[in-house]
Amino acid sequence: MASNGTTTNTTTIDIRSEFAHHDPNVARINNGSFGSCPNSVIQAQQQYQLRFLEQPDHFYFNLLKPLNLRSRHSIKTLINANHVDEISIVDNATTAAAIVLQHIKWSFFDSKFNPGDTAVILHYAYGAVKKSVEAYVTRAGGKVIEVKMPFPVSCNDEIINAFRDALELAKSNNRKVRLAVIDHITSMPSVVIPVKELVKMCREEGVDRIFVDAAHAIGSIEVDVNDIGADFYTSNLHKWLFCPPSIAFLHCRNPELSNLHHPVVSHEYGNGIAIESSWIGTRDYSAQLVVPEALEFVNKFEGGLDGIRKWNHEKVMEMAEMLVKAWGTHLGSPPEMCSSMAMVGLPACLGIMSDSDTLKLRSRLRDCFKVEVPIYYRQPKDGEVNPVTGYARISHQIYNTVDDYYRFRDAICNLVDTGFTCKVFQD
Amino acid sequence: MGEIRNHEDNNVEEDNNNNNNHNQTLIHLQKKPKFASFITQSQIQQEFSHHLSGVARINNGSFGSCPASIIAAQKRYQLQFLQQPDDFFFNQLPTQILRSRTLIKTLINADDVSEVSIVDNATTAAAIVLQHVGWAFAEGRFRKGDTVVMLHCAFQAVKKSIEAYVTRAGGSVIVVHLPFPISSNEQIVNEFRLGLERGKMNGRKVRLAIIDHITSMPSVIIPVRELVSICREEGVNQVFVDAAHAVGSVPVDVKEIGADFYVSNLHKWFFCPPSVAVLYCRKSSLSSDLHHPVVSHEYGNGLAIESAWIGTRDYSSQLLVPEVIDFVNRFEGGIDGIMKRNHDAVIEMGSMLAKAWGTRMGSPPEMCPSMAMVGLPSCLEVLSDEDALNFRNHLRDEFSVEVPIHYQPLKESEVGPRDENGGFITGYARISHQVYNTVDDYIKFRDAVNKLLQDGFNCKRLLSKE
Repeated sequence: MASNGTTTNTTTIDIRSEFAHHDPNVARINNGSFGSCPNSVIQAQQQYQLRFLEQPDHFYFNLLKPLNLRSRHSIKTLINANHVDEISIVDNATTAAAIVLQHIKWSFFDSKFNPGDTAVILHYAYGAVKKSVEAYVTRAGGKVIEVKMPFPVSCNDEIINAFRDALELAKSNNRKVRLAVIDHITSMPSVVIPVKELVKMCREEGVDRIFVDAAHAIGSIEVDVNDIGADFYTSNLHKWLFCPPSIAFLHCRNPELSNLHHPVVSHEYGNGIAIESSWIGTRDYSAQLVVPEALEFVNKFEGGLDGIRKWNHEKVMEMAEMLVKAWGTHLGSPPEMCSSMAMVGLPACLGIMSDSDTLKLRSRLRDCFKVEVPIYYRQPKDGEVNPVTGYARISHQIYNTVDDYYRFRDAICNLVDTGFTCKVFQD
Repeated sequence: MGEIRNHEDNNVEEDNNNNNNHNQTLIHLQKKPKFASFITQSQIQQEFSHHLSGVARINNGSFGSCPASIIAAQKRYQLQFLQQPDDFFFNQLPTQILRSRTLIKTLINADDVSEVSIVDNATTAAAIVLQHVGWAFAEGRFRKGDTVVMLHCAFQAVKKSIEAYVTRAGGSVIVVHLPFPISSNEQIVNEFRLGLERGKMNGRKVRLAIIDHITSMPSVIIPVRELVSICREEGVNQVFVDAAHAVGSVPVDVKEIGADFYVSNLHKWFFCPPSVAVLYCRKSSLSSDLHHPVVSHEYGNGLAIESAWIGTRDYSSQLLVPEVIDFVNRFEGGIDGIMKRNHDAVIEMGSMLAKAWGTRMGSPPEMCPSMAMVGLPSCLEVLSDEDALNFRNHLRDEFSVEVPIHYQPLKESEVGPRDENGGFITGYARISHQVYNTVDDYIKFRDAVNKLLQDGFNCKRLLSKE
């Protein structure tokens, strides 16, 4: 593999032209939020869009179902599921969460679960998932316990211990733990979670349902749903697997027993979650149909998806180390707990004091320096001297070059040199 | 329907006189049109040149249609997102969605933009309203056994949604059967009153009435304003009008109709790409309890804001209302002119077909929007839903005619509409007319059926294919 900052590790793909639609002036180091899609996959998608527009009835009656099944088969193989019935295609992990959590809601209503029964989620669970838990679990009478995870974090044991503590609390006073929602890779701050161990712990402790929110996983770390053993597992394919916006899969270990339903009810209601999800009214389903084409793209690379994952991980760590050296800060977690993203400490003198500061700093970086990168605010503990309170979540995808990270490095150095602090945002 | 001018300055001017004119289908007084002349036939055909040639496309009702210039505009938004998604998310999307909502508010004569939410389709809107009802049952605000009233011909997805959210939570369902063929609004009003009475029997409350503005199959215009009035008189809690087909085929004035919830797709008859729908929620009914079922970080900020972000997706189809308004204003009379001409044409074509086949229409012209139910000759023997679907496929595969077929069982045996041969009419074609249609489409359909008749075809032949 090339080590001079370019990302080509194969001769059959012209990466620059595949991603020519990316704004060339932007150092795009936030692949985690919205993902990216190569031109060849977009072209394939547009073909399906055209087929629908040219004769929608024929598309609906004759093409859509087989194409949906084709995508699901591809995914089944990719994630080592047992049967294609276990795979539903939905818009995104946010939708998958609503599906699983509505099911939990019904269990409370049908009195299978009792008021006060608990659900365990990570403190760093994604904002939408937390709201979904509030909307469906808390509202239905469940009590939510958050796992207080440390950050920065230095090893898996810190997470495992924190999780164990939360489970203990959730079970205290004879309560039943009905649900555990575990991120495979947390969003902000981004850390790879030892899900296999946590799922095992949940089984040992008698947790009823285990839902792994792996929005970032497919395409950035290895995914083997059989090995992980959760009841429900979801990941977005538009983030790291080169599909267009938007598509995710929801894997359900036991679809017949689970009685999951898509919240948007169509005439397919009752035919199983996979079939229900395949038709939720007239819409553009084209993003869901190009999984084989995305995998074709991936397989043009040396080592295929494995090769891309390793490459991205190596490069993001290399760039992260370069940045912490330049700024005199530190990483938020060790390399083995990073995926294709890394949390890089920002200089303390920037004075990041709130979530609002991070948003404004992010906008400043976008508008003045053309750097796109999300920033995380870590509340300092009492007594910390000159704490690092801001972390940038940098990402590496195959279109990135070293210049992207140099631009970010220089932008921060520039802010530091000019005495910038987030206090200016108070005015 | 509120008249919309084009949006050059990103401003929407409301024609204050227009609120009185919505019942009329005449051309409104307009400023000098943006274009020197109106769109020509050849330009129209070009706009729809992506439609598969050789197909008589007379089913605009199912999936709608979208002109090339709107598709091109959509691609520009899609590209903007792909170019710099963060910038699009933070800086473009919220403004564009609000712009669409503001224009729609005027289009449907809502009072306040907070009443206008954009969702994927009517199916999603039904889930939103019914989930809200389901919570009320589950949380004890509605008593088990309280009722929801719906029409027998309600869209299948809506029926299932009622099962999924209402029946499952302990509510009861009353089904109102509308006669078909139908000859007057009175028939509908009478049946509906009876349905409401059944819903109130034994001390039960009718918590929700779901009324189609234009039924899907068989397709007729329902006198919604009257039915909503009756609901208010009879103490129905809330009324939800499923108007999936309405915007772009009949005038829509949500204040005048007076329902609590009103949904219409914009990709069916209003030239938007798949898919986008408007869900109107009257302010007084806008409880903080109405939620999009896909919960995002916007949860609790009101339905319109929740619906504007339900996770990463392609929202481009929701952003094209300004471009669509420009498009319809290229036609003489704007959307009003289009609606009138579609209606007149579909009636003319329907009559032509009925005459050619010796059959009848399923409803009088005033109960038809831009679609019409045309009786099929009895000897085709459409005697089941399966026959109807098989026949539709046969027309597509053998004749390149795309038209949905409806099976209408006789209410009592030996009583029903007859065709010229004296046989009972049990099959109807739902023909549609949109701006891209030409007379040839209907001639092709006429001739296809005539050929089948000549060949002595009947639907039994299609069963042997199984």
